[in-house]
Amino acid sequence: MPISRRSLAAAALALVLPLSACGSGGDDGGPTDASGKVEGDITFQTWNLRANFKPYFEDLIADFEHTYPGTHVKWIDQPAEGYPDKLSADAAGGTLPDVVNVSPDLVAPLARAGLALDLDKAAGTYRSEYLPGAWASHRIPGMKGTYAFPWYLNTGPLFYNKALFEKAGLDPEQPPKTYDDLFSDALRMAEKSDGKVATLANVPTIEDFGRYGVPLMNRQGTAFTFNSAKGVELLTRYKELYDAKALDPQALTATPESAGKKFLTGAVAMNPGSALDLGNFKKNAPSLYRNIGITDQITSTGHVNMYVMGVMVNSRTRHTPAAVAFAHFVTDARHQMSFAKKVAIFPSTAGSLDDPYFTKEDGTDETRVRVAAAKSLKNAVNYTPVLFSDQMKTALRNEVAKALQGRQSPEEALDNAVNAADRLLRQG
Amino acid sequence: MSVLEKVRPERPATEARERRVTDEHGRRIRAGELAWRYLLLLAVLALTIGPFLWQLSTSLKGPTEDIYSSPPRFLPEHPTLHNYARVADTIPVWDYALNSLKVATANVVTNCVGSALAGYALARLRYRGRGAATLVFVLAMLVPVEGIIIAQFTTMRELGLNNTLIGVVLPGAVGALNVLLMRNAFRNLPYEIEEAAYVDGANVWQRFWRIGLPSVKGTLAVVAIFAFMGAWDDFLWPLIVLSDPSKFTLTIGLNYLHGTFANDERLVAAGTVIAVAPLIALFACLQRYFFRGVGEGAVKG
Repeated sequence: MPISRRSLAAAALALVLPLSACGSGGDDGGPTDASGKVEGDITFQTWNLRANFKPYFEDLIADFEHTYPGTHVKWIDQPAEGYPDKLSADAAGGTLPDVVNVSPDLVAPLARAGLALDLDKAAGTYRSEYLPGAWASHRIPGMKGTYAFPWYLNTGPLFYNKALFEKAGLDPEQPPKTYDDLFSDALRMAEKSDGKVATLANVPTIEDFGRYGVPLMNRQGTAFTFNSAKGVELLTRYKELYDAKALDPQALTATPESAGKKFLTGAVAMNPGSALDLGNFKKNAPSLYRNIGITDQITSTGHVNMYVMGVMVNSRTRHTPAAVAFAHFVTDARHQMSFAKKVAIFPSTAGSLDDPYFTKEDGTDETRVRVAAAKSLKNAVNYTPVLFSDQMKTALRNEVAKALQGRQSPEEALDNAVNAADRLLRQG
Repeated sequence: MSVLEKVRPERPATEARERRVTDEHGRRIRAGELAWRYLLLLAVLALTIGPFLWQLSTSLKGPTEDIYSSPPRFLPEHPTLHNYARVADTIPVWDYALNSLKVATANVVTNCVGSALAGYALARLRYRGRGAATLVFVLAMLVPVEGIIIAQFTTMRELGLNNTLIGVVLPGAVGALNVLLMRNAFRNLPYEIEEAAYVDGANVWQRFWRIGLPSVKGTLAVVAIFAFMGAWDDFLWPLIVLSDPSKFTLTIGLNYLHGTFANDERLVAAGTVIAVAPLIALFACLQRYFFRGVGEGAVKG
């Protein structure tokens, strides 16, 4: 049971981290002022980017070392799995690298432990270079300051299998646009296929609640609110889908990866994805690729969801100027743009999305997806609350699973999830 | 077997002329029952090695094949070893394998030596607090690794062993379970043999080395396999203690094959096969001892 082991580890880490981080505080902290000379040896840690982008990062680092003589950047890359555990252990052991690739929910515990440099203070001048929404995404409710440079953004359309739509008697050129359409189409799909073809493969996550228009947290960032009537409504509708097998029966244990596979095998009719998935379909499931339909994310708020990656500076680094300069170097418009051309991500720097690369169609599906995504990003929202930790995600998932199985009502499930999340929030 | 024995005497003797299928004791087995036995065995075989064969087949599939076709196709249309070469191109897989091998070998040695010595002490030596010492080993098994992993990590850092392969080996160097396995193996030896050796003037070391150890080879092999597998498969601890990608073990290194943006199943499958192959080789070498370990304790001629 990887999930239970993982959550056990996470629980243990959550207990240990604040204690140990306080205990070892202040012994080897460098200057918090980033205005000094840019020099010294720093370590830069990325999250699973080595295998595919090694040349890009090697060039980037060489470029930086060339621009600032006297600096040396050591690049380390961590594998995909266990990254939160690794960060917590390094934070507790005082071995956190100087510049770290994080996402908003990963930076929150580090910022609370005083390990993330407040960039509003240390690098406020760079602020105007980024999209305001992206810069704000690394703010922690209840704390002052911004704790990471925004790096790449990701969002994507909803893919659907036209062949399956046709078989169910639905118009393959008219994919659902609203939640009401989605749910009625899904029920019809399940009915026509005798429950063999599901339309959705994932249980609702916190982002789904956000997109449905459920307020997730109160303004002060002290309590979660997704157990409101609107939240219950969404979960009740998912329960209907689950009972009709319009939500894949294995959704309770699905991961984005396993859901993607279900879509590839044609057991599921719709799946969220990104421009990259097109290549994947072409390569791994040619028959699906011929029938692929692309539509916008379904949202009741008018804002699609986006994921944000960030680059954090360790507040205990010995070479604050170099670390801040490098974090900015990695995330500046020029380097984000060249990274975006390597892989389907979107830069978080102001103006980059107006580049012809993101606005001009050239007739291919890839470009169409990219242009549409870039357009939707301009008012996209990172629905994942910064304080919604891994453990809270697990708690929500477990309660939702119980509700779908009929072991508790949707109201109870969401009340329990909110209580659990609030409790974890107070433990901080 | 007992059912068979009851049925057997009533069989008419005329059937004896047919070609007979017999079990290891020369008793006759009915064809239907034999078929049923093989069917069950095959079913279990399919369950246990099926997923592995599937990975093997996926790893051999060429780039143009539909690996998600429905119904699934088992045999690759254009078998190729290209995916294995790609694994080596993507990550320094042989360096990782070497690191894993170092860790696993060290783990086998420390576990075999440590748990044999400790097991013998707990089973055969008489001293105050032996019961309490045994209890400590049992209690040690109850502590979940995840609960103490940060404490372990800070300890390693204090010792200056974080980011070294020694740091990976040390916490699992002598497993509590292995000590108890060895203790039970030694306890099952009859006291009389050691007493005889004692009368002949053998000291504790000689009794351990000449009498005890040769009789528990099977359990030792079990410990060796467990230790090897434990070290080879471990993910969380090496991930936490190692920071430098050049020191990574295979399990962590293979995780790089799961791309951040896109996944190539063939690549992952090829990596999996590379990771599992040494385990199969080791088991094939030690399986003779492995099964003997189960029936150990009997005095051997």
